[in-house]
Amino acid sequence: MRHVATLVMLGVLFVLPVGVLLLQAGAPGWRYPDVLPPGLSWDGFAQALRNPGTMLAALGSSVAYSLATVALTVAMTLGPARFLARTSFRGKNLLEGLLLTPALVPAMTYSMGLHFAFIRLGLADSAVGVVLVLSIASYPYMLRSLTTACTHLGPDYRTCALNLGASPWQAFRQVELPLLLPALAAGGSVVFLVAFSEYFLVFLIGGGTVPSFTGYLFPVITSSNRGLGAMVTLIFLAVPVALFVTLELLLGGYFRKRGMR
Amino acid sequence: MNRPPLPTRALLPLLAPFAGIFAAGLCLTALQSLGLFLPTASGGPTLEHYWAVLGSAAMRRSLAFTLYVSLVSALGSVSLGTALGYMVWKLPTRLRQAAVVYKVGLILPHVAVAFLVLLCFGQTGLLASLAHTLGLAPTPQDFPQILYAGDGLGMILAYMFKGTPFAMLMVLAVLFGFDTRLLQTAAMLGAGRLETFRRVTLPRLLPAMHSAFIILFLYAFGAFDIPFLLGESRPGMLSMRVYDIYFQKDLADRPQAMAILALMFAFTTLFTMVYNALARRVDDRGRKL
Repeated sequence: MRHVATLVMLGVLFVLPVGVLLLQAGAPGWRYPDVLPPGLSWDGFAQALRNPGTMLAALGSSVAYSLATVALTVAMTLGPARFLARTSFRGKNLLEGLLLTPALVPAMTYSMGLHFAFIRLGLADSAVGVVLVLSIASYPYMLRSLTTACTHLGPDYRTCALNLGASPWQAFRQVELPLLLPALAAGGSVVFLVAFSEYFLVFLIGGGTVPSFTGYLFPVITSSNRGLGAMVTLIFLAVPVALFVTLELLLGGYFRKRGMR
Repeated sequence: MNRPPLPTRALLPLLAPFAGIFAAGLCLTALQSLGLFLPTASGGPTLEHYWAVLGSAAMRRSLAFTLYVSLVSALGSVSLGTALGYMVWKLPTRLRQAAVVYKVGLILPHVAVAFLVLLCFGQTGLLASLAHTLGLAPTPQDFPQILYAGDGLGMILAYMFKGTPFAMLMVLAVLFGFDTRLLQTAAMLGAGRLETFRRVTLPRLLPAMHSAFIILFLYAFGAFDIPFLLGESRPGMLSMRVYDIYFQKDLADRPQAMAILALMFAFTTLFTMVYNALARRVDDRGRKL
């Protein structure tokens, strides 16, 4: 009985909204005062697919700058995370706390000052500027994930590989990196979600020249085209889920091949 | 004493963007709030924009409203998320698989959640349709106004839809690594279910709940998307004040927007430090019992 209550609550909170979105996308004409959609059709989907140019451009752009953000945050944090996990020095706690602040303070507080500098540097209205500012907003998640993983891993695997005659690069590439893959996947998923979901930073720094899927949804929300809004929202759910499932399968296959699981 | 030097070289890939982008952005915000580095000609540094912001009654109302919305949504999310996380943890293993649906709320961006809230709670939304069909509210005007009513309820609903799964995630991470022998010991010593939860489980969940609260509270305090789509214009969230001044008013007013941002930054850092210090003290006392 207790478990039924749990499942009902989860269902009402998280499954019901998806169901409503599916129905709304299938029945673009469903509106007040009908409790149930008048009839499902593929019209909404056909209508959206008839002119998919802007939608696909926005979606592609969002996926591209989000993936670039993941890559840049890995480049920023992999070395430092290994170092922070291994070394202790004076003021380390303070430094680690400071390095996590970009995820806590409102993005507006630094991005609006930055806007001015980016205009001067020619980084405003460019994808490079967008990726840079998104990386600042999201690298703390990658850093946290990698630092924790490196701490759990400890120095022993690396020492062992070095003792067996591996070069530092071999020890990193063939021993440490495979063991860090789950943490990279976890950190990367969060960073991707943060970048993919962001509206304001892309709007401010991208200035309209870098299309975003969130920016595509914005005017749809306030318009009366509920069917399109529902479909775009469903895509927002489908793209990350598809990516995460692919990632999971790839990782699983990789570990099975290497006999690590 | 021989002090090891700060290991700048190994940390450079992180310290360079931290200083060159994040800290530099903050500094530029602060400088512009003092009337410097403006696109227009600027005079000497001045604090007048701070006085203008701090002296404005409308701004104080915005601050109170922002604090109210963030506090209620963060508290609501952490309470509901902890309860749901605990309930999911109690599920038998095969049912736990089904509980992953909670991640829908983690994946959907705030913009999409705002759309869902409008779709369900608007005066011509689903609930209104339901009320119409049941004869409770024959016209949209009879349906109680949930959104844009001046009490921030629409924003609170949206933030809770995003925040509850986040709190669940944090709490479940602790619960799944939980040593169940502690619970068996408590039961053997004669503790009831409620007492076990209060004195054994809850103290171990508190650090995760504190983290979730700080993150959610500060996010709602300074975010843009939800207030832009679901916020009322009066009193208006602080981020909307900043946006209005920055994009819609005279360039001469821009330092005021920057002054609000500088004050928001000061508040978020102070809040984090004070909250962490207080939480540590309270939790330590709880654990000694």
